[in-house]
Amino acid sequence: MSRPELSGHASIFYNEREARKYNSSSRMVNVQREITLRAIELLLLSPDKASYILDIGCGSGLSGQVLEEKGHIWVGCDVSRDMLQVAHERIDDSFDGNNKNVENDEGSDEVHDPPLSTGDLLHHDMGTGLPFRPATFDACISISALQWLCYSNSASQNPKRRLLRFFSQLYAILKKSARAVLQFYPETAEQAVLISECATAVGFGGGVVVDYPNSTKAKKHYLVLSCDRTSSKQVQQSMPSVEEQTHVSVSAASRKGIDKPIRKKKGIKTKEWIIKKKETQRKRGKSVRPDTKYTARRRPTKF
Amino acid sequence: MRLLTHNYLISNVKGTKEGYPLQIEAEEVVIEDSPFDQELVTGILPKLNYEAVIGALHQVADKVEPKPADIPEKLPEGEIDTATLEALYHVLFNIHVIEGHLVCPDTGRKFPIKQGIPNMILHEDEI
Ligand SMILES: C[S@@+](CC[C@H](N)C(=O)[O-])C[C@H]1O[C@@H](n2cnc3c(N)ncnc32)[C@H](O)[C@@H]1O
Repeated sequence: MSRPELSGHASIFYNEREARKYNSSSRMVNVQREITLRAIELLLLSPDKASYILDIGCGSGLSGQVLEEKGHIWVGCDVSRDMLQVAHERIDDSFDGNNKNVENDEGSDEVHDPPLSTGDLLHHDMGTGLPFRPATFDACISISALQWLCYSNSASQNPKRRLLRFFSQLYAILKKSARAVLQFYPETAEQAVLISECATAVGFGGGVVVDYPNSTKAKKHYLVLSCDRTSSKQVQQSMPSVEEQTHVSVSAASRKGIDKPIRKKKGIKTKEWIIKKKETQRKRGKSVRPDTKYTARRRPTKF
Repeated sequence: MRLLTHNYLISNVKGTKEGYPLQIEAEEVVIEDSPFDQELVTGILPKLNYEAVIGALHQVADKVEPKPADIPEKLPEGEIDTATLEALYHVLFNIHVIEGHLVCPDTGRKFPIKQGIPNMILHEDEI
């Protein structure tokens, strides 16, 4: 199978048809969720606090959805307007209280309401920098997008220059002691090296974590970066080093615990609140489910 | 685009010095209510550019329906009462700019906002 990155610009590959897959294919959804959960785990966020997180190459917002389920606030940026459109619809649905049932991780029939979205979207090319004030974000994730920077779509696009601009601005907009976890699919070993080298060149500490290194299909690369400006020994030690790739394979059993929300759901939606909200939606002429004895009843959770 | 996001956005067109704050030319603004979260606003305060919040609020004011509760023109020193925090939460999280433009204060470059999504894509010669 040829790689999508070779087909031209990301905003052309991720067209409307491709974008819809991210909403309809449950395999696609599950893979994105799983990777996002692992990325969040590698971020080592402070446990009882909502974090402000940038999602680069947020696409259809599947990764963002996981962030909000964990109680975080996120901003997503993507170069494909068609992918953003799918994300936009997902966010709008959450406000309208449309029960687009979220499939849960065990794949059973139990369903739960998506929480109100905490995401905002931005149409932007990460290769041209990141338009935010310095020290804005508590963390950054990026799922399956970074490898796109290794390809150039025009004579003026130089991969190394784009990677350096991207990483230096990422470094600037993260708070000190923040981490960034960027999962990517390198086509070659050289690409993985180029990416890590550009990251360290701008001052990041960290390296690549490889999950399931022995499986061609399940193998995943995570670039784990820390921008601790004091570069304390401890942080550096807990980070994988760039030179020697750390091979971490995580067994299914040890993955079980990571799905817990790290923070109590923000502002529990009470029954009165939901009924009031539905009332406003009706006034605006939107179609809303009728109020029944099931309204605002807690759904069974996954555990 | 929430006003919270606006507070962190800058313009990085070639030739900008600060590129901040972006001016909002709003055509459509909606309110999407979400439950007040006191811990969340309190956590955000230290990094917030309060002056930019006030500026943004003035720029969208005539498009916001219903009119939000007042927030003080200057952030009070010391402990902030719950009513103020609630009003501030509402401004930052519930007001969404849906259609309009963001304008770079240095270069005048306009970034269109469509369906709530600002388009910050730069042309090759703007990088
Ligand atoms: C595999 S998809 C990611 C899916 C996404 N994480 C989700 O949950 O739906 C990769 C995304 O990276 C985006 N992308 C590729 N190059 C980019 C660039 N230079 N700047 C921003 N986004 C980019 C693509 O448009 C695409 O949406």
